[in-house]
Amino acid sequence: MGGRARAARRSLPTYLVLGPFAILLAFPFYWMLVTMFKEDLDLYNAENVPYVYNPVQWKFWESATTKHVEFLFTDTRYTDWLVNTALVGAVVVAITLVISLPAGYALARLSGSWGQTAGIGIFLVYLIPPTLLFLPLSPLVARLGLQNSLLSLILVYPSFTIPFSTWLLMGFFKTIPQELEDAALVDGCSRIKALLRIVFPISLPGILTVVIFAFSLCVNEFIYAFTFISSSESRTISSGVPSELIRGDVFFWQSLMAATLIPSIVLALLYNAFLDRFIKGFTGGAFR
Amino acid sequence: MAHVPDEREAKSSALTREDLLKRAGAAAFAVSMFGALPDKALGLYGPLKYQHKQLSGELKILQWAHFVPSYDQWLDNTYLKQWGEKNDVDVKIDHILNTLLFSTASSEVAAQSGHDLYQFISPPSSFQKQVLPLNDIVQEVSKKIGPMTKVGRRSTYNPRTKKFFGFPDNYAPDPVQYRRSILAEAGVSLNTWEDVRKGAPKLKAAGHPVGLGMSNELDSNMFLMSLLYCYGGFIQNEANKIVFNTGSNRKGAIEALELMREIFRNGMSDEVFAWTPASNNQAFLAGRLSMSLNAISIARTAEKSGNTALSDDTWLASIPRGPVMRLGNEHVMGVYVIWKFAKNKEAAKQFLVDQQLAYRQHFLQSEYYNFPAWTGAIKGGFKTMRALTKQDTHKPRGKYTILTTIAEKYTTNVGHPGNSNAVIDEIFNRYLIPQMFAEVAQGKSSPANAVRDFTREAQSIYRKWQAQGLV
Repeated sequence: MGGRARAARRSLPTYLVLGPFAILLAFPFYWMLVTMFKEDLDLYNAENVPYVYNPVQWKFWESATTKHVEFLFTDTRYTDWLVNTALVGAVVVAITLVISLPAGYALARLSGSWGQTAGIGIFLVYLIPPTLLFLPLSPLVARLGLQNSLLSLILVYPSFTIPFSTWLLMGFFKTIPQELEDAALVDGCSRIKALLRIVFPISLPGILTVVIFAFSLCVNEFIYAFTFISSSESRTISSGVPSELIRGDVFFWQSLMAATLIPSIVLALLYNAFLDRFIKGFTGGAFR
Repeated sequence: MAHVPDEREAKSSALTREDLLKRAGAAAFAVSMFGALPDKALGLYGPLKYQHKQLSGELKILQWAHFVPSYDQWLDNTYLKQWGEKNDVDVKIDHILNTLLFSTASSEVAAQSGHDLYQFISPPSSFQKQVLPLNDIVQEVSKKIGPMTKVGRRSTYNPRTKKFFGFPDNYAPDPVQYRRSILAEAGVSLNTWEDVRKGAPKLKAAGHPVGLGMSNELDSNMFLMSLLYCYGGFIQNEANKIVFNTGSNRKGAIEALELMREIFRNGMSDEVFAWTPASNNQAFLAGRLSMSLNAISIARTAEKSGNTALSDDTWLASIPRGPVMRLGNEHVMGVYVIWKFAKNKEAAKQFLVDQQLAYRQHFLQSEYYNFPAWTGAIKGGFKTMRALTKQDTHKPRGKYTILTTIAEKYTTNVGHPGNSNAVIDEIFNRYLIPQMFAEVAQGKSSPANAVRDFTREAQSIYRKWQAQGLV
C-alpha cells in the first residue's frame, strides 16, 4: 500500500502535466458526442449550458435524442460514403506503398549524392495545392471516362500521397545500417530478397506511418472528391458530409457532428494502436 | 413542348390499339429490312414505353442542396421520377453545396464533360460562352403563361448578344427577419434605413445587435448591394455602363457607406467582417440578433427547432426604405444553364419548360422559398401565391404573405437597373462590395476614396468583359 502511494506520488506531476493536455485534446470529441444527441431546441438556445443536455437532469438521456443520428443513416448515404472512403483509402495506400517503398529505398541507397536533392524535389511536388491542380486534372479525368467514379480518386490521390511517402521512407531507410543488407547479400540473398527479408521488416514503423498518413490524407481530401464525384452514392465522407448536411445557410449540426465523430474515432483508434511505431516512423530519419 | 400532364392527361396518353398496330408494323418492317442490326432497327421507331415520346436517353442535372431537405426528396423521388417516366428519360440529379457551384462548374467546363443541366443560385454571366442560348424555350414559356418577371429577365438576358444565357427558374425574396418583442421594447422601427441607424445603438445596448454582414459571402453581397439601391448608389446604369462614381450615384454610395459605418460602430461587433452565409442564421437562432436580412431559412429553421418562443417572435418585413427607394436583390436566383457539351440538350430544354409550367408544387414543397420566374407559372399569379402563403399555420399567422409583396414590388436583380452581366458577376464573386463597405466601416478608407477605388476596379473588369464581347 505504501509502495502504491509512493508510486502515485511519483507519477502525480506527470498526470498534472498531461491531464490538461488530455482534456484539451479530448474536448472536441466530447463536444461532438454531446452535440450529436442534442435536440434542436437545446442546441439553439444560447441560455442553455452547451456542454450537457438541457434541461439538466440525472437521467440525461431523457433530454437527448437519437433522431439526428438516425437521419444521418436513413436519409443520407452515409454508410456508402464510409465504405467508399475505406475503399479508396485502402487502394491508394496499396498503390502508394508499391511505388514509394522502392522509390524511397532507391533514393536512400542507390542514388548517390543527388538522391537527397531528388528527394527534396519529390517532396516539393506534394506542396502543390489541389486547388491549383483540380482544373487541369478535370479534362484528364473526363478523357479517361472516370468522372463520377471512385477510380478518379484512386488515380489522382497517389499524386500527393506518393511524394510525401517517398520522402518519409527515404529518411527512414537511411537509418537502417547498410551492413545488414551487405551481410544478407554475402549470405546469398539477391537485392530484392534482402529488401523483402531484411530491410522492409525492420522498416515496419516507417511503413505503418506511411499507411496511416496516406489513409488520413485520403479521408481528409476535399477538392478532388468534390469536383470529380457528383452523385451522392459515389461520394466519400469528405465531400458527402458537407454536401448533404449543409444546405444553403442551414447547418444540420447534430448530424454533422455524428458524421465526423464516427470516422474520427476509427482513425484515433488506428493511430493509438500503432502509436509507438508511428512515433518511431516519424522520428526515424531524424538522427541521420 | 408539353408540361407534365395531370392524371387525366396521363390516362388519355396510354397506348391505343391503333398505335400498337402501327408500331408493330413498323417494327416488323424494320426487323425484316435490318434484321442484322436489331438495335438500329428499333431505333428507327423506338421501343416506346409512352406515347408522344420525343426524348430518350439520360438527363443529368446538378443543383444545390436545397435548404429544405424535403423539397429535394420530393423533387428527386417524386417529380423527377414522374417526369422521367412520362418522357422516357432516365433523369439523374446530384445536389451539391451551394458555395461550390462555381468551382464545380469550372471543373466541368475545363473537362467539357459533366451534367446536361446545371443550376446556379446567382446569375452565372461569366459562363455565357460555355452555354446554349435559351431564347427558344423562354419564348415558348412566355407564350404559354405570359411574360417573365423583370428579375428573371434581367438576370439571364444579355442585351449585347441578345441571348438568354440561362433559364430563370426561381428566385427567393429577401425579407428582413426581426425579433418583434425586442424591437418593440426598444422602440425601434424598420420602416427606413434612418430608423435602423437610430435604432442600432438601442438594440446593441439591449444585448441584441443588428446582424448585417460585411464579409466575403453571399448574404453580405446581396444586402449591401440592396442598400446601395435604396440610397441611389447604382454601380451601373440601364445600359450596363459603370456609373458608380458619378453624380447622384456617387452621392448615394457615399451615404450608404456612411450609414453602414455608423450602424457598425454603434450597433454591431467585429464578427460581421468574418461572417459566412450561415452566420446570421446561427446568431439569430441563438437569440442574439434583433434583425437580419436573409431568405426565409432563418424563420423556417426557428420553427423546425421547436423553439416556439423564438419562432413566434420572428417576424418578416420588407427591406427598409432608403432616401431614394425601397428595393432589394433577390436572395437566391435559381438559373439553369445547358452546357454546350451537354449530351441531352433536347431533354434538358423540355425539362425546364415543363418544370416552369407546373410550378405550384415547387412553390409549396420549397415552403415558399422558390418563387417562379414567371408569375403565371402559378395560376392566378401573386394573388394565388399570397393565398397559399396565408395558409401557413405558423405564428404569427400570415407572416409569409409579406413575401409576395416583396417579390412583386421590392425585388430586383443583381446589377439593377442594368442586367446581371459578366461585370456584375465578377464584382459579385470577388466580393468587392463587402470589401468596400468593410474598408470604410473599419476606418481604413473614407467613403469617397472607397467609391473611387471600387469604381476603378469595376471599370477595369468592365473593359475586360467588353473586350470579350459580353457587355
